[in-house]
Amino acid sequence: MHPLDILFSPRSVALVGASPDEGKLGGVAFRNLRAFRGKFYPVAPTVGDIDGVPVFRSIADIPETVDLSVILRPAPEIPAILAEHAGKARCAVIVSAGFAETGQTGLQEEVARIGRELGIRILGPNCLGVFSPARRLDTFFLPTDRLKRPKQGNVAVVSQSGALLMCLLEALAEAGQGVSRGVNYGNAVDLDAPDIYDYLAGDAQSRVAVSYLESVGDGRRYVEAARALSRKKPLLVLKAGKGEGGQTAAYSHTGRLAGRYEVFSSVMRQFGIREVGDFDELLDATHALAMQSGGAGKRACIITDAGGLGVLAADECSCIGLELPAVPEDAQQRLRSIFPPFYALGNPVDLTGQVRDDQYLAALREVRDSYDGFLVIAHTGVAGVTPRIAPLLVQFRSECDKPLVVCMPKGGIGGKVGRLLEKGGIPAYSTPEHAARGLRALLQCE
Amino acid sequence: MGKGKMTITNHLHKFLATHEGESSFLEHEVKGFLRDLNVPVPAGVFIPTGGRLHDPLPLDFPLVVKVAGRKITGKSDVGGVRLAITDSQELGRAIAELSAISGAEGVLVEEQARPGVEVIVGGAIDPQFGPVVMFGLGGVLVELFRDVAFALAPLKPEEARGLIARTKGSRLLMGYRGKPAVDMEALASVVVTVSELIGSGLLEEIDLNPLVLYPDGALALDAKMKRKCIKE
Repeated sequence: MHPLDILFSPRSVALVGASPDEGKLGGVAFRNLRAFRGKFYPVAPTVGDIDGVPVFRSIADIPETVDLSVILRPAPEIPAILAEHAGKARCAVIVSAGFAETGQTGLQEEVARIGRELGIRILGPNCLGVFSPARRLDTFFLPTDRLKRPKQGNVAVVSQSGALLMCLLEALAEAGQGVSRGVNYGNAVDLDAPDIYDYLAGDAQSRVAVSYLESVGDGRRYVEAARALSRKKPLLVLKAGKGEGGQTAAYSHTGRLAGRYEVFSSVMRQFGIREVGDFDELLDATHALAMQSGGAGKRACIITDAGGLGVLAADECSCIGLELPAVPEDAQQRLRSIFPPFYALGNPVDLTGQVRDDQYLAALREVRDSYDGFLVIAHTGVAGVTPRIAPLLVQFRSECDKPLVVCMPKGGIGGKVGRLLEKGGIPAYSTPEHAARGLRALLQCE
Repeated sequence: MGKGKMTITNHLHKFLATHEGESSFLEHEVKGFLRDLNVPVPAGVFIPTGGRLHDPLPLDFPLVVKVAGRKITGKSDVGGVRLAITDSQELGRAIAELSAISGAEGVLVEEQARPGVEVIVGGAIDPQFGPVVMFGLGGVLVELFRDVAFALAPLKPEEARGLIARTKGSRLLMGYRGKPAVDMEALASVVVTVSELIGSGLLEEIDLNPLVLYPDGALALDAKMKRKCIKE
């Protein structure tokens, strides 16, 4: 049990501001929360029922204390509505906007005070709330036909921005990547990134956490929570606002160089918290870490059937700090004896367009002890690459648990084989650069 | 070294108390304070405007002369630094000329330091993280190279080494292309001291720039410090 189970895994949910009109936000939220696996209490002042679900005139009329109340009413009404929650709710998601982000700091402080006085934890205001597919909890006011939800999986997505949460969930759904939790905490009058990190550290459903940040309130509290979470599972942080410079009028060089982002990024490195550079890198890394455990070291081996893709992968590997040492002499000799003479046994190992599936496995087995991770490029335009490559690579992974990622351009049978690989726990990327970044995420090297 | 956090904070309290009402300080005041904290600084004497040169001068040529004044932010920018002074005549001329610079409160005469590897060690208050310490390569050219790293202050010696290692050019310090390695212990000790000074919460900013590193020791050639302004 964790104090935030009432937010991520509630037994009962109220929706204050439910509407029968699907054109309204309260109507969309009703539709999404209706699927919730638990007790659902829509609250609206006038209607008797919506689609057969009985509606309560007020939160006070609900016959129990709900774990979670989702409040979707105009900002000026929120203090009065929250006050009615006394003894009736343990946690509230205040979706409404119109608080500090529009200059209404007084209103926001009032809401925070009421929450503290009543002992109600608050997520928001100005937030989308929570998505927890295991309980089919979805507080978003976004229609499912507009924002495709990812399937249930092991990636927790934490976002300060609602828009970024939408984009990340959409991109993960697109990549077929499942999500354990999605949460947007908005103005964070109460629950903030550190509280959520603390929950995720102990959340068995979440294997990887990704977090989009614009600012951290109390930097030292943030660092402590991020370190604690990082010790349990990979945490990937994407920070926006990289251009915020230092104080130009500062007295010292240090003052001028101490830009908010520079300091943030440095402190992340000081404590070994992983920062990713951009949205794409976040997705590449998440994809890999959701499937495989990381490994130590930075020596990578590229095995390809397409010379050019191998060179691009090698270029990216060296740019991002991976090393590509040559295949050891003895391994080369053994490979020389089983492969045609025109295969290039450098690094990349180029098996050329004449490759057959089983030769990938043969090459991997020869080099497995000499490297920390492997990047296999299999262009399926080549006749010798068939769907059988997927079980062969999965077999290699069962013999050797070092990180292995695949670059498999889509098109032809590429998409299908890619899905087979991913079922077997091997991330498949459509470009060599993305694959290299995925491998880099698994090989946690400095 | 051997000075605990309390000691450094106490020193700072004392220093700030003796300079009550001032938000920034003259270079020789900061250097005198740093010397008390075992941060090496060049031997030097301060001559207030209109004051007389010590006779005999307790310094060995070659000397440098630097203008001093709380209103003067960039000494080099106002032509307020003279290097490689080798005799008394030249010294007298430099003192007279620099004392005439607008805003001058005096001049600082110091023994000229040997060349070494120039770095910067500084501290600032970050709005989110509070006191942070910075290490960077390039000394006075730091804003050109921007090869710096920050850490939450204060630091222990091993954390100071970690901070130093996080700059891209830190290999330069380990002995690069035939150059000897610098005195890492002396550098780490300065970083720890600066981290404790900024970590005290009593300062707004501090800069030791350049700090010159040698195979045996380090020397802070310039130092600035600004008191934390009390918000009304």
